[in-house]
Amino acid sequence: MNALFGSSRLSRNLIATAAWLCYVFLLLPSLIVIPISFGNPGQIEFPPRQFTLALYQQFFTDQAWWGSMVQSLLVATVTTMLTLVLAVPAAYALVRSQLPRRNLLRGLFMMPMLVPVIVLGLGLYLQFSNWGLLDTTTGLVLSHIMLTTPFIMVSVMSGLHHSDVSLETVASIMGASRPVIFFRVVLPQLKASIAVGALFAFLMSLDEVVVAYFLTGTKAMTLPVKMYSSIRWELTPVLAAVSTLLTLLSLLIALGIIALQRKTEANP
Amino acid sequence: MTVTPMTVTPAPASAPVAEGDRAMVELQGVTKRYGEVDALKRVDLTIRKGEFVTLLGPSGSGKSTLLNLIAGMITPSSGRIVIDGRDATTLPTNQRGLGMVFQNYALMPHMTVFENIAFPLQVRHLPKDEIKRKVEQVLDLIQLGHVAGRRPRELSGGQQQRISLARCIVYNPALILMDEPLGALDKNLREQMQLEIKRLHADLGITMLYVTHDQDEALTMSDRIVLMNGGKIEQQGKPDELYFKPATVFSAEFIGSSNLIPGIVEAGGVSGLSLRTAIGTFPVPAADFAVSTGDKAMLLVRPENMTLTGGPGVTSVSGRIDDSILLGGVVRHFVRCKDQSTIIVQELNQPDRPIAKRGDEVRAGWPPAHARLLPPSVPH
Repeated sequence: MNALFGSSRLSRNLIATAAWLCYVFLLLPSLIVIPISFGNPGQIEFPPRQFTLALYQQFFTDQAWWGSMVQSLLVATVTTMLTLVLAVPAAYALVRSQLPRRNLLRGLFMMPMLVPVIVLGLGLYLQFSNWGLLDTTTGLVLSHIMLTTPFIMVSVMSGLHHSDVSLETVASIMGASRPVIFFRVVLPQLKASIAVGALFAFLMSLDEVVVAYFLTGTKAMTLPVKMYSSIRWELTPVLAAVSTLLTLLSLLIALGIIALQRKTEANP
Repeated sequence: MTVTPMTVTPAPASAPVAEGDRAMVELQGVTKRYGEVDALKRVDLTIRKGEFVTLLGPSGSGKSTLLNLIAGMITPSSGRIVIDGRDATTLPTNQRGLGMVFQNYALMPHMTVFENIAFPLQVRHLPKDEIKRKVEQVLDLIQLGHVAGRRPRELSGGQQQRISLARCIVYNPALILMDEPLGALDKNLREQMQLEIKRLHADLGITMLYVTHDQDEALTMSDRIVLMNGGKIEQQGKPDELYFKPATVFSAEFIGSSNLIPGIVEAGGVSGLSLRTAIGTFPVPAADFAVSTGDKAMLLVRPENMTLTGGPGVTSVSGRIDDSILLGGVVRHFVRCKDQSTIIVQELNQPDRPIAKRGDEVRAGWPPAHARLLPPSVPH
């Protein structure tokens, strides 16, 4: 760094300015919707010339809007819980056991992260239409479980790599059975990594739009899909209020993740 | 850190005497193979009830493999393991009724000290009030009752290791395995803990299998030392037997320091034998292995059995002082013999002793009865 730019005050200021410009460039599109959401309910307007909560009122009184928000929250919650049930034991088995072909299995579990989402969406669409799962909450939850599994697994596997195997050994020597060891020794140590993974999964499911767009129609429509269609067909300023709410939620979850990660670093 | 005799838990102190001959653990021809490598080669070992046995050896000698086999973390390639009269060769770890103390303590970080010690009792489904009573008793025993509500990481290393010991004692396992339990502690604390563990062993009559590579620790604590080398038991016996009567060059070199002089056995001397070496021919005591004239053999003399002052009936060899090191209570002389080999002489330090200087001509002597004849070392 110093060799490249020298250490003069000027160059340091230049770097700082460049960094801040990048941040602003990245953040601006997300932030610009916030003032708009408090502005004119008639049309999208920046800068806003009045301050009102009318758009939020519109959002919460329109069944189509908050209904899809409830649907999104429901899908994200159920997805997260089911993924935990699936991914935490799977991660434990992959890290601790001597299963043959462990690496192959690990690769399979990570696949949904690598396959292009649009391909996944198309595949699921074709398959689910045979099974009658299109436009159902069940179908959507199933596909979101696929998408979120790798994230919880990565988080839990890294937690397991940092936890001490000898605790499990000593518990076994003390007479504890496998289930007792898993629930009383392993899980409590993984609390933070499980929580981080769960928050990631929740967030992913909440704003996942591609697969949801393929799979849902009017009945199981989630908020991001509703927003997308709304942009295409009506372009209402309520979108700004929805975006602001989603941004706020994401921010809270991100802060939660950071706090949890700090906590784990403090007492490993 | 004194320990009052315990009235609570398991066997009274007199029990091991009565049951002293009953085997707690028996290994019969146990072999453990990893690919082409034999980590353990047909080992037979018996640990009696109430005995404190130490597995001593360099790293890679098979002592940890042996421990893991007894704990059930690995299964033997061949042979049989019997624990407390039951064939345990393939028994799962959690059904062997053992206890273990690790070097890194292995206390559950998410549990308090109380919960840690209560854990094995909860696993055994003991009633709540009995768990509370037992945990409190054992905490009193190790004098750490005041930390019951704390988390392990709030305690010092020594305290954590005592908690992990208490966690074993509380459920009275057939055998407590200890894998270098004091390796992470500093020297003073280690010595203190050695005595505490020894005292708990004597008071409670628990059978213990202790693994270490530290010969002082083994000599301090054990009823019996099992010296391991290359996946085999090199020699076993009481600490003084291993120290004074090593059977092999490996034993002699691993425990204590030693002067080893190679030579050829000849007739002569009081015992009828003497050893011709590059620095002279010395009388030797009777060997306790089959030996005849013309055989190669090693002469062992411990440095503390040697002296520079000579005297009647002392065998000696001439040499020149290379260095003299003051080690506090003792002084250690390095004597260079005429064949350039070095003999170490260790004497008690006294204020009026003349200081040996580099280059001084001396005679390093020893009473012939304090020497020992060993078979020449065989490569494993």
